Parts: sequence; C-alpha cells; structure tokens
Amino acid sequence: MKESLMEIIRCPIDKHELELAVEDREDGEIMAGMLSCPECGETYPIEDGIPNLLPPDMRDDAAA
Amino acid sequence: MTDSQGEDSRARLAERRGVDPEVYQPAEDSGLLAEAAVDSLSAPEVVLEVGTGSGWVAEQVHAATGARVVGSDLNPHACRQARDRGVEAVRADLLGPFADGAFDAVLFNPPYLPTDPDNEWDDWMEHALSGGEDGRRLIGPFLQDVGRVLAPGGEVYLLVSSLTGYDIVVDLAERAGFSVDEVRQESYPFEVLSILRLRPT
Repeated sequence: MKESLMEIIRCPIDKHELELAVEDREDGEIMAGMLSCPECGETYPIEDGIPNLLPPDMRDDAAA
Repeated sequence: MTDSQGEDSRARLAERRGVDPEVYQPAEDSGLLAEAAVDSLSAPEVVLEVGTGSGWVAEQVHAATGARVVGSDLNPHACRQARDRGVEAVRADLLGPFADGAFDAVLFNPPYLPTDPDNEWDDWMEHALSGGEDGRRLIGPFLQDVGRVLAPGGEVYLLVSSLTGYDIVVDLAERAGFSVDEVRQESYPFEVLSILRLRPT
C-alpha cells in the first residue's frame, strides 16, 4: 500500500485514525507492516502490500 | 451475471470455476458499471470500488479518468488480483475502514443473485454472487453507510438487477437519503441491469 492511503483508511471499529509501523518497504510501497488504532488498541496487518482492515471477528481466511 | 436463477446460474458458475474458482471475473455487469462511471464522472480525484473482485472496473475507471481508485474486497484472493492490476487494494467489509468524506465517487456491483439458504455453496464464489434470500443482503447495509464516506458533491454508482427488485432498491436508496437517477439500462435474456446514480439530498 502507498503511505498516502493512511488519509483514507480508519479503524473499522471506531473510525479513529490509524498508526503505521512499517516492516518492509519496496519501491515506495509498504509491503509489510502493522496498522494500529490508538483508541481501541486493535491491530491490523499489512501483508504482500495489502492492509487487512477486516474487524477481528471476520479476519479468518475461511470463506464462511 | 446475465443468467437466470437456479440451475442456469449453477451451470454458469461451474463454467466460471473452470477459469477462476475464487474470484468473480469481469462480465456484462462489470462493463456496464465501468462505462457508466467513466461517462458520468467529471474529474473525480478519489474513487472507491466496493467489492472490486478482479479489480477490472477499478482499473478501467483509473485508466479513463486518471482518478486515484481504491478497490476493497472481503476476499483475499480478489485483493491480490486487484493489486496485481495496479489497483490500491484494501481487504474490508463494505465501507467499514474508510474515512468520512474521503471519496468523490463510490462504485458497487453487489452480489445480487437471490439464493435459497438451503442451497448456498459456502465458498468465495458464493460470496461474490449470492445476495441472500432476497438478493439484497449487502445493498441495505451499504446504503446505510455510503453517505458517510462521500466528499461534498460525491456520487454513488450502484448496479441493480431486475432479479434483485429494482423498485425496492430505489426505495431503499431514497429512504437512505439519496436522489436516484438511472444512468444506464441494458436488457439481457434473463434480467435487466441498471446503473443507478445516487446523490445525497
């Protein structure tokens, strides 16, 4: 994801702005890292350049 | 999705599964949504496509308008395909993780085939196609929240099939506080597809 996406995304639980911790950056994009909500404390992973902003109870990879 | 319900859609689904078992691929509905958005939008800066699937519509809109287009999907396989097309992909449930007033336009081709609950398939393709018993499983929640993420002057482009109940969707949109214009309509053998443009009233 591009760092400028931070202006567009929010915590899905309380709509608070998120904080970004970058683990891996390639060609100006964040490939791996963690987004966290300073309000509720929830964390959201960034993997393969894609932030997973599903609420925790929907995060399982299973379809159902 | 231009097929009828029941066996027809299953046959078509099986056919699609031969191509990609997990991500809905562009079809007539995708083309109609992309065309309507590209023709109607004037210089959008930031656009969101909810349920972007393969990312094809988002890619078309970006290429034709130059807008920044974010694509969200529940399905991780779809997020990866969209990202591979150059779409800014976010794994999300509808509009949950998006900021108030962030978008000049929001596009949505929802899963809309009415599905018997005893007959659901419980996999990613079902999520992409099935609109639940009435075909409107996600349309109601989407309409309740989409006004929040629109910038001033922002618009929503929503695909509706006659299978989903056109008048009911228009009514839901009006109740959610939008004025509704039909900007495209195409007839297919088993359904009529429309693109509704919604503007906050």
